[in-house]
Amino acid sequence: MSDEISNEVLFDLHRRMVRIRRFEETAGKMMEDGKIPGALHLYVGEEAVATGVMAHLSNQDQITSTHRGHGHLIAKGGAFDRMFAELFGRATGYCKGKGGSMHISNMELGMLGANGIVGGGPPIAMGAGFSNKFRKTDNVAVCFFGDGASNEGSFHEAANMAALYKLPVLFVCENNGYGEYTPQANHQAIVDVADRAQGYGMPGVIVDGMDVIAVYEAAGEAIARARAGEGPTLLECKTYRYYDHVGVRGMGLTYRTDEEVEEWQKKDPIDQFETRLAEQGILSAEAAQAVHDEVLAEIDKAIKFAEDSPYPEPEAVLEDVYA
Amino acid sequence: MVGKIGLLANPASGKDVRRLVARASVFDNQEKRAIIRRAIVGAVASAAGSGSELEFVYHNDAHGIVQQALEEFGGDIKATPVDSTQMSSALDTISAARAMRDQACDIVITLGGDGTNRAFCLGWQDAPMLPISSGTNNVFPNLREATIAGAAAGLIASGQLGSELMLQQKCISVHIEDEREDLALIDALLTNERFVGARALLKPDQFRSALLTRAEPAAVGITSIGGLLNPVDARADHGLWLEFGAAGDIVHAPIAPGYYQDVGVSVCQTLKLEQTVRCVGPGTLAFDGERERTLRDGQEAKLTISRTGPRVLDVTAALHRAAEIGSFIKPQQTQPAPKTS
Repeated sequence: MSDEISNEVLFDLHRRMVRIRRFEETAGKMMEDGKIPGALHLYVGEEAVATGVMAHLSNQDQITSTHRGHGHLIAKGGAFDRMFAELFGRATGYCKGKGGSMHISNMELGMLGANGIVGGGPPIAMGAGFSNKFRKTDNVAVCFFGDGASNEGSFHEAANMAALYKLPVLFVCENNGYGEYTPQANHQAIVDVADRAQGYGMPGVIVDGMDVIAVYEAAGEAIARARAGEGPTLLECKTYRYYDHVGVRGMGLTYRTDEEVEEWQKKDPIDQFETRLAEQGILSAEAAQAVHDEVLAEIDKAIKFAEDSPYPEPEAVLEDVYA
Repeated sequence: MVGKIGLLANPASGKDVRRLVARASVFDNQEKRAIIRRAIVGAVASAAGSGSELEFVYHNDAHGIVQQALEEFGGDIKATPVDSTQMSSALDTISAARAMRDQACDIVITLGGDGTNRAFCLGWQDAPMLPISSGTNNVFPNLREATIAGAAAGLIASGQLGSELMLQQKCISVHIEDEREDLALIDALLTNERFVGARALLKPDQFRSALLTRAEPAAVGITSIGGLLNPVDARADHGLWLEFGAAGDIVHAPIAPGYYQDVGVSVCQTLKLEQTVRCVGPGTLAFDGERERTLRDGQEAKLTISRTGPRVLDVTAALHRAAEIGSFIKPQQTQPAPKTS
């Protein structure tokens, strides 16, 4: 393992999590107010996972995301203005306003796309990993997926091939306990998705996905292992989404209790981290609040940019398509 | 007579980041279920014919490891879950330990590593225990076939053997200024690392000091550092105090499974029972191989070694004693005389 984590890294982890939280809170409110069309799957509560992993990646490393992809893109370096523009369906968005929330992507950042298909990402990440190895780079492909996606054939096939060819791929299971509205106990006979790793011939480890340092340390080891040519890893992060599967309060279904949500919120990744940083004299409460304020100001500007941006021209519908 | 055997399996043991860095063993929950089932088989076998009934008092963990093992075993056995939390954290183990203490279990079989057993002892410090290894650092639990471990537990619970085959272990009581108390069974180490994070202890250049109840040269973990300098076993009425730094011996030690590192030791001295040493933050205290508690700058922790820990059954001695008293020997069946007409 490397030396002690520097303050610069700690500040970076904190800011990335705050950026995700504030973006998602704002986007959720705008969706419920009818200002953003379509459905948003929000990442509030799971910030430590994307942050802890992405802090080890460069733009040359690739990620594949899920339908809950905003947090991944923000942690990978996505700009608020182009993201809001995409959610608003404007021509200045990351996908020229034609992708929206569930297909947001940016090749310059190595973000190979959010995905509307559950389990759609693993084969893409496996392919990127194959390319990285074939081209003899030291780049790594990271695949984010959920406990529900780990039941899909696409995941099994990708994990098998990645292990067979010792590809530089990190499979990050964001296990939030629910496949959409279905509790994990009702869709798989195991509790730890990491247990599946042995079946493919790769290591599987579990970390507390509400602890950004725990994720950062474990992901660092797995990514270093991938860069060294030692093959893929399955990293399971136990986490929780505070909002519903879609939107904030979604469809009002009673598939989980408020008490359960409140119990997880006691382990909030940002609150926990800010408390520890303050206790150790690394970042005061006032300095942490200043980060929130800066991020909120950036969001205000980004929304203005998006609202002032044009919609794509009708003829643009035939551009950027393969068939 | 009804003898009570506690059963507890930690679903989280054997799955942390040390699988990546150190290639430590992986224990999936199917394997843990199989281990528990074999322990039940052993316990039932050794108690059969003793005239005592067995009752299994178990922690129904969120993964259902013990519950499923009991169901697989089937048969006519009495099994009762204890009232314990379902937080998927060490709190579950602690609350289960308290419940087993309240139920007056004759012996408790635990499945996990040093960390699991430490958590158990936070709930029942002087518990009668038979720890089976399924963790990462396994100084405290036995690397032992579960069938035989279960048989030894059955001999105790059925009253065929007594507590003289148990050795009360040393432990370290931890008093942290302004905070709740804590406990270590094998080692307590202060590291410069500022966060608990992924818990593993893999950076010897960050180690500052350690108190060991046992210094085992034939084990992995922090205990091995002291063990390779000045071995201290479970029976010795002293521990070992280490201070780390470049101005001393460089010990090439397996600080995790499959992971040797050079560790500088500037002070290595024995410490008598009931003696106390002090650690001052900033830093993180690790207990039994895992970072657990952070210390603020200037915050003090007092570590006291004593023989007030759990009572652990000597499995080998128990089975030898069973052979002496014929616990597993059935009386010869008398063949009925053939009938003549």
